[in-house]
Amino acid sequence: MGVTCVSQMPVTEGKSVQQTVEILTRKLELLGAEKQGTFGVDCETYHTAPSTMGNQGQAAKLMYVMHNSEYPLSCFALFENGPCLIADANFDVLMVKLKGFFQNAKGNKIESRGTRYQYCDFLVKIGTVTMGPSARGISVEVEYCPCVIASDCWNLLMEFMQSFMGSHTPGIPSVFSNKHDSIYSPADTMVQYMELFNKIRKQQQVPVAGIR
Amino acid sequence: MAEGVLSAGINLEAFAQAIAAIQALRSSVTRVFDCLKDGKRNKETLEGREKGFVSSFQESLHSVSRDLGELERLSNLVGKPSENHPLHNSGLLSLDPVQDKTPLYSQLLQAYKWSNKLQYHAGLASGLLNQQSLKRSANQMGMSAKRRPKAQPTTLVLPPQYVDDVISRIDRMFPEMSIHLSRPNGTSAMLMVTLGKVLKVIVVMRSLFIDRTIVKGYHENVYTEEGKLDIWSKSNYQVFQKVTDHATTALLHYQLPQMPDVVVRSFMTWLRSYIKLFQAPCQRCGKFLQDGLPPTWRDFRTLEAFHDTCRQ
Ligand SMILES: [Zn+2]
Repeated sequence: MGVTCVSQMPVTEGKSVQQTVEILTRKLELLGAEKQGTFGVDCETYHTAPSTMGNQGQAAKLMYVMHNSEYPLSCFALFENGPCLIADANFDVLMVKLKGFFQNAKGNKIESRGTRYQYCDFLVKIGTVTMGPSARGISVEVEYCPCVIASDCWNLLMEFMQSFMGSHTPGIPSVFSNKHDSIYSPADTMVQYMELFNKIRKQQQVPVAGIR
Repeated sequence: MAEGVLSAGINLEAFAQAIAAIQALRSSVTRVFDCLKDGKRNKETLEGREKGFVSSFQESLHSVSRDLGELERLSNLVGKPSENHPLHNSGLLSLDPVQDKTPLYSQLLQAYKWSNKLQYHAGLASGLLNQQSLKRSANQMGMSAKRRPKAQPTTLVLPPQYVDDVISRIDRMFPEMSIHLSRPNGTSAMLMVTLGKVLKVIVVMRSLFIDRTIVKGYHENVYTEEGKLDIWSKSNYQVFQKVTDHATTALLHYQLPQMPDVVVRSFMTWLRSYIKLFQAPCQRCGKFLQDGLPPTWRDFRTLEAFHDTCRQ
């Protein structure tokens, strides 16, 4: 597990999501990156059930239950700004049992699926973000596998992203700034995906043309 | 094989008798002390008591000297145990009767002779090369050939304590570098060097000479399934494979046979410059990446970072 940056690539004007993904992957392949299968990250939203709320003024808390194909045996449960729990994959079954406390926000499932590329010690995952039937955007995940300290390799990571994302290279992710020189963990990647999904949910829906 | 050894020079029968004789001697000695401990008890008159004590004491002393004599006689029959072999336990290989199939002993002798010869010639060569040296560190040109002490193969047999001292001094020199020394295979030391949270290096030593080094990522496994240091498998990451190559080059560069401790210290100083492996841009092209790799080369003199292809 190396240091990872997750960001959004805007859809090129006049192009579909699919076409923009193709342009991006072609750039990667020209650089010398090799295709290495597919990947997927999904996220379900849960509300705390009203019956469990003690104080009346308290706002319902949101919990996100996420999966990442890179960690097929794990399930991630995150609160916004809160702790991240890493559990076994059958955590989903437990969530069904906890119906009384956490209710699944139906139709709120959001996921990103796409192709995984390797270039030297970098892993790049270009995904189409979908919510229900509609494509909502493009996610770009870049991981530098040999390094475990986010601040050590940020400049290097940025230089690499510039080589195929150009002016759309993101700024330093907010999770990096809280890490100082502690070791980067898979949970930090999931927090970035959660933030990206929340951002995309709020954005205008792009035309449905040409999904997948 | 064991049977062959015994039947060759030692009489098994005499062995058994000798052991019995030792047992007899021990029990007669015990009797002497029992007799002394019991003293002059259980006799009617004072005179009778004294007499009885002296006679039983005499008797038991006699049996001690008889048993001792017997043991001495038998020990001559048993024969001397084999002397400590000059090659220590490896000398026992010469006792292997299946010479034709496993000529280990003669091969061992050959190898020993060869390594001695090699050591001697290497010493001579190093003396000659030092005269011609262009390296600043090896500037001994003032020394005449006659005055130079003849190279001895002593650096290979430094006491482990000395090696420990040199390593622990280096360990204290660099706070961001921790060195763990272990000796899993006898006298040769192995070092596990951890540099910050950047990388780990396995260093295989022979005395104070570095034989082999492997660089791996900070989060990579450096142990085998049996929990030993894994000195064979390489890193999964191209960047550390490249640094391993450069570290091997550095081992060849930092050579000073007469002062192995200086070599180890110079190598570690050079290695420490990788603390900024992911943070330092190339000193020539100013970039972080070239073909997906950061500047993996460190200049031996200035310790500046360069891409492999940017160094001169
Ligand atoms: Zn360069």
